[in-house]
Amino acid sequence: MNNKTVGPKEGLGFGIIGIGFLLAFMPSAAQKIADLDFVASEPFGILLGATYVLALLVMLAGLAVAFVKFDDEE
Amino acid sequence: MSTETKAAPRKRSKRLPLTYVIAIVPVAAALNIVGGYINGILKLPIFLDMIGTMVTAVVLGPWWGALVGAITNIVGSFISGPIGLPFAVVNVAGALVWGYAHQMGWMSKNWNFFLVSVLVGVVCSLFAVPIYVFIFGGATGHFSDVMTAAFLAMGQNLIVSVFSSNILVSLADKIIGSYVGLAIIEALPVNLTENTKLPKAEGLNKIIIPVIGVVVGAAIVLIFLALQ
Repeated sequence: MNNKTVGPKEGLGFGIIGIGFLLAFMPSAAQKIADLDFVASEPFGILLGATYVLALLVMLAGLAVAFVKFDDEE
Repeated sequence: MSTETKAAPRKRSKRLPLTYVIAIVPVAAALNIVGGYINGILKLPIFLDMIGTMVTAVVLGPWWGALVGAITNIVGSFISGPIGLPFAVVNVAGALVWGYAHQMGWMSKNWNFFLVSVLVGVVCSLFAVPIYVFIFGGATGHFSDVMTAAFLAMGQNLIVSVFSSNILVSLADKIIGSYVGLAIIEALPVNLTENTKLPKAEGLNKIIIPVIGVVVGAAIVLIFLALQ
């Protein structure tokens, strides 16, 4: 039987991976969004805004890594 | 003479079996995607795409919820177009607020639970409005665009108009999402939810409290519709 467990540390790691995936998909999405008829923004502006917000989330993740106590290790 | 000795209280582990996580994360993301899809078909003035995020953020933790939020909008963008992808940050932010509020014990009483739902709605609006305004020019084809147009016609500027319509929609959506999520958490196996600090309900109250929450959210939707 597999008794492997996961806790906050793994959650934080996978959350950061999720943000990484978002960053990876953003360039192509920015172009597709800019191609929509009702969107006036340029791809660069869309990408810039999205990157700033995602950077904020990465910083929050960094703060969580720095200050959260992972005292419940397996 | 009794030989029984008092055992020291066993410390509850915050760690969960990996199988639970592997089961919950994809199902929660699927729940979000299906909720958003149904909402899109029915053209409801809410989103319904964060119920799974709430369940995961509370049961597993804030960053597992963030992962569910990211997966929801990435996979959703393949299904319903790229419009949803920038809003992934809203889903992630909601997960963090729900998750950390729960960890701090802010969701343990009924009123606090309701206030956290309102807080999530406000935070999600603060993240969503700049995306609406600066990326999409204020409209994405969502039902709330009608109300944004109404506010614009009243002479408000774009940011105020988008915020005014989005905050109503977001509050209703997050209140409904929180209470539907609460009902789902109540239905999960006890060993999975033993670490949760949510309003304690017994018997019929387990159903009545979520129903009241959903009714409050629906009332906000009705106010929204009446204002149009």
